[in-house]
Amino acid sequence: MDVNSFMTGLMTSLEPINILWVIVGGFLGTVVGMLPGLGPATAVAVLIPVTFGMDSTSAIILMAAIYYGAMYGGSRSSILLNTPGDGSAIAATFDGYPMARKGMAGEAMAISAVASFIGGIIAVVGFIFLAEPLANFALQFGPAEYFLLMLLTLSAIVSLSIGRMIKGFIAMFLGLLLSTVGIDTQTGVYRFTMGVPHLSEGIDFLIVIIGVYAIGEVLYNFLTIDDLKKEKKKVGKIWFSKEQWKRSKWPIFRSGPLGFIVGVLPGAGGSIASMISYTTEKQLSKKPEEFGEGAVEGLAAPESANNAASVGAMIPLLTMGIPGSGTTAVMLGALIMLGIRPGPLLFENQPETVWSLINSMFIGNIALVIINILLVGLLVKILDTPPKVLYPLIVLLAFIGTYTLSYNTFDFYLLLVFGILGLLMKVLDFPIAPLVLALIVGADMEQNFRKAVLSSDGNLGIFFSSSISIGLIIMTILSLTYPLLIKWIKSRKEIKRNLSSKDVS
Amino acid sequence: MKIWKLAMPTLLLVLGCSFLIASFQIEKSNLGNPNGPLYFPIGLSILLLLFSFMYLAQEWKKREEDHKVISQLLTGRTPKLIGLTILLGVGYSLLFERVGFLISTFLFLGTLLFVLNGKKKWMTNIIVAVCFSFFSWYAFSELLGVSLP
Repeated sequence: MDVNSFMTGLMTSLEPINILWVIVGGFLGTVVGMLPGLGPATAVAVLIPVTFGMDSTSAIILMAAIYYGAMYGGSRSSILLNTPGDGSAIAATFDGYPMARKGMAGEAMAISAVASFIGGIIAVVGFIFLAEPLANFALQFGPAEYFLLMLLTLSAIVSLSIGRMIKGFIAMFLGLLLSTVGIDTQTGVYRFTMGVPHLSEGIDFLIVIIGVYAIGEVLYNFLTIDDLKKEKKKVGKIWFSKEQWKRSKWPIFRSGPLGFIVGVLPGAGGSIASMISYTTEKQLSKKPEEFGEGAVEGLAAPESANNAASVGAMIPLLTMGIPGSGTTAVMLGALIMLGIRPGPLLFENQPETVWSLINSMFIGNIALVIINILLVGLLVKILDTPPKVLYPLIVLLAFIGTYTLSYNTFDFYLLLVFGILGLLMKVLDFPIAPLVLALIVGADMEQNFRKAVLSSDGNLGIFFSSSISIGLIIMTILSLTYPLLIKWIKSRKEIKRNLSSKDVS
Repeated sequence: MKIWKLAMPTLLLVLGCSFLIASFQIEKSNLGNPNGPLYFPIGLSILLLLFSFMYLAQEWKKREEDHKVISQLLTGRTPKLIGLTILLGVGYSLLFERVGFLISTFLFLGTLLFVLNGKKKWMTNIIVAVCFSFFSWYAFSELLGVSLP
């Protein structure tokens, strides 16, 4: 670890203005993340324009705070409304909502905030020690390895769409095809621009992100807009008892590192981390029958894991420019827009920015605990605001955000097209992350592929020429075959069980 | 229901075909390999077509099954809400630079609030539309220095 850069980053993130941004971002992220159906990806996408005009360090600090704020916010609506903000907050509904129904909403929110804080801090410590070695390792990557790494990331994210892998692949190919629109950077040839000059620079992936996540999500929520029941929430005492802490502390400390490791892996994110930690704790528990009925450790463990995973996911994002999930893909978009090019050289070229971000994660986590505990009453009141008023405001923010990207109203039409695409994908149960991820890494993937082929005079053997390449190919094959293997094992078990039950009868 | 379930795979097949045809029409490059810019789109179009066929086959098998979310999309006031939001979005796009940010935003937001929140809450709708239009103009234009028409 570079101690000088670490200290400079610490001092930068402790500047009053940056602390203010952490608080503002954390609060805004919490509010958007709390809205049913809207998660961290939407929160970051909608709030991107807030960073315009800011210097890049402050902007990245604000973005990270919005991201973590939305993670906290997602679990607020899980606990209070049984409606998770995003996939990683689903596990919080299992025991958090039953706790709220028993009149322990305040205790549930306090323990989830503290668990998220501890999970986040454990992961930030892991980040400090792992990020630079990983960046140094990434320096050994050539175009062939980069292409294969992107292929692995995409296949990993598709393979997570268990039960709908065909749809995952379609989403991915659509994203990759969209990434080819515009001038080809290697040859200057125009592709799929249909004579529209504005498309020569390609389709800005931020428009796609805002369209699919913000407009698409709002339109999708129209399906149930008249069914939403208004429940008055009783929050109760906003702190947990000694007994509750005793039951949760080890699950929290165990789930932090677990979530962090899961977060670092490409494709795996907060949802998987929280599910793994929930099932692990249930298996380890002396009272597994209480899980699902309001067991405090069943809430604390996944909350710790998903926050740790979100910090872990920043490692491949910052060191290799590889986002592992939809939300980190949105973060990557935001970083590129701010002029920060994530990759192994980021630590050499912009150490202050990176270490300011890392330190701001510490401060952000502290600020969010305070916001989430002190402002519970206010946050619950915001949750009472009718969605019929909030959704139009989100649609408007999406339009303003889009306009500020290139000051051209042609983008509004693209925004609407991708909003409709997002709606259709949600209705037909298509995973959105492969589309967004493919669109973002698509151009780099193609360029690296072509560079690799060019450097080897057309010999495709370049993709098998190093141990890193071979390792990446094996991992790609494993990631694609693993779900099929699990399915096959399950069906074998079922056949055996059926046969044995027939024998008995 | 059958038509709606098969609409998406069909649309994807049309999209795949269009991309494939358009890929072959991409200009050849004067630099390096003349076909360099073609390979990636052609390969992707073929893969999209292949997977769209698989998707169509999958949906064809389940064509008579009920799909709750599609039903929700097509019933009640949902299609009207979605259609109106899109239309208002198009109207906003047309007005935005012609009449300026404040007026177009007030009209867009106000109408959308009336559509979603109902006429009965006209006071709330107007207050929110006025306050939020002004607040967003002030925040973006004055505080963040974003140039708005």
